[in-house]
Amino acid sequence: MTRTRTIALASGLAVAAVGALAGCGQPDVTKSRLERAIGPAFANLYVQRADLLGEHGVTVTRIGAAPACDRGGPKVPDVGPGPDWICMIHFIDDHGQPQDGKFEVQVKADATYVAGGPSKLIGQATLTDSHGHDVPNPVFEFDGAFDPDN
Amino acid sequence: MTTTAVPAVAPAARRRPGTATVLRWEVAKLAAQVRSRALLIGAIVVPVAVVLIFNTQLPPKDTIYGRHIHTSGYAVPLFVLAFAHQWVLPLLAALVAGDIFANEDQHGTWKTVLTRSVSRTQVFWAKTLTAVGFNLLVLALLAASTITTSLLVVGTQPLPGLSGQLIPAGHALPLVIASWATAVAPMLGFTALAILLSVTTRNPTIGVAAPVVAGMIMQLVSSLGGLDQGRRLLLTTPFEAWHGLLTAHPFHAPIVTGAVVSAGWLAVCLAPAHRYLRRRDITGG
Repeated sequence: MTRTRTIALASGLAVAAVGALAGCGQPDVTKSRLERAIGPAFANLYVQRADLLGEHGVTVTRIGAAPACDRGGPKVPDVGPGPDWICMIHFIDDHGQPQDGKFEVQVKADATYVAGGPSKLIGQATLTDSHGHDVPNPVFEFDGAFDPDN
Repeated sequence: MTTTAVPAVAPAARRRPGTATVLRWEVAKLAAQVRSRALLIGAIVVPVAVVLIFNTQLPPKDTIYGRHIHTSGYAVPLFVLAFAHQWVLPLLAALVAGDIFANEDQHGTWKTVLTRSVSRTQVFWAKTLTAVGFNLLVLALLAASTITTSLLVVGTQPLPGLSGQLIPAGHALPLVIASWATAVAPMLGFTALAILLSVTTRNPTIGVAAPVVAGMIMQLVSSLGGLDQGRRLLLTTPFEAWHGLLTAHPFHAPIVTGAVVSAGWLAVCLAPAHRYLRRRDITGG
C-alpha cells in the first residue's frame, strides 16, 4: 500500500512538474541562437580549410560570415529541433568573391547541431592539403553547440 | 535504580557500532561479489577494446564528436561519453545500487543484518554510501581508462571545439576531464533512483533494469523537442551539459541546472526509500 502510494505520488509530482514547466517555457532552439552559433563556427572552420590548402590571409573577419536560418519554409515557425533547418551563410570566399552557401542543418533538442555545407563552394568531404595528403574537409560537415539559456 | 541502570547503559553505548562500521561491512560484502569485481575490471578493460575497435572503423558521424575520432585523441573520450550516457552510464549506476538492498530480500538476509545492534537508518546510509562510492569509482576508472587509451592510441592532436575553433592540446585535457566530471551529478541521480526501486520493489532485476528503461524513456521524451524548458527536469539532460565547456564562449548554466536537478532527484528518491525501509515490517525471510 505504502509502496503504491509512494510510486503514485512520485510519478504524479514528476508529471505535474514537467507539464507545468513545458507549458510556460521558452523554446531552447531558436533562430537567433542558431545564427549566433553557426556563423562564427563556419568562419573558424573555413579558416582551417584555407590553412590546410595553404591559402594564407583568410581570416574570420575577412570572411565576414553572415547567416540567416529558417526552419521548414515560411509556414513553419523558426523554433524547435528538427532536421529541416536551412542556414544561408553569406561570406567572402578564399578568392575574395562574395558567396551565398546553403547549409542543411539538423538541430537536436540538446542544443547541438550538425551542418552540411554545399560542396560547390567549400569542396568535397576530403581535401588534398598543401603537403599532398588527403585530409577531412573541416567545413564539409560539422558539429556545433549553442547555449540553450541565452 | 540508577546504580544498576548506569553500568547497563554505558557498555551498550560503547559497544553500539557507528555507521562507519556498517559501511565497512557493506564495502566488504560488495568487494566479495564477483559482479562488482568484474565491473571494476570491465571499467578498465572495455574502454581499451572500444577505443581500439573504433580506431579501425569508419567515423560514426551520428554521435557528436564521432567524426573526429581519428583526427584527435581528445575527441575519442568525448565521443565515448556522448555514446555512454545514452544507456551505459545509467546501467552502470544501477548495477550495484539497484541490487544492494534487494539482494537482502533475495537471499532472505534482512533479519540477519538487522539482528546486529545497528539501526535501519545506519544500514540505509551505509548501503547508500557504498553504492555511491562504488559508482563514482566505476565512473572514474571508466573515464581514466578511456582518456588514457585514446591519447595513447590516437594521439594528442588539437581538439575541434563546438564553435569551429581548435582547442590546443594543453587546454583540451582539462576540458575532457571536466566533461567527464559533469556526469557525476546525473550518475548520483540514477544511483538514487536505483536505490529507491531496490528498496521498494525488493527485486534486484527491477532495481537494475528499471532505471535503464527510465533513462531511455527520458532520452526519447527529451529528443522529441516538445518539452523545451521541461527537459531540464529530466535526469538525462545533465549528461549533455558538457557541450557548453567546448564552445568558444563556454556556458556553464546547464551544468549548474543539471547539478541542482540531480540533487533534487537524489533527495526525492532517497527520502521515500529511507522512510520505506524504516517503516517496513521485516518478519519474514
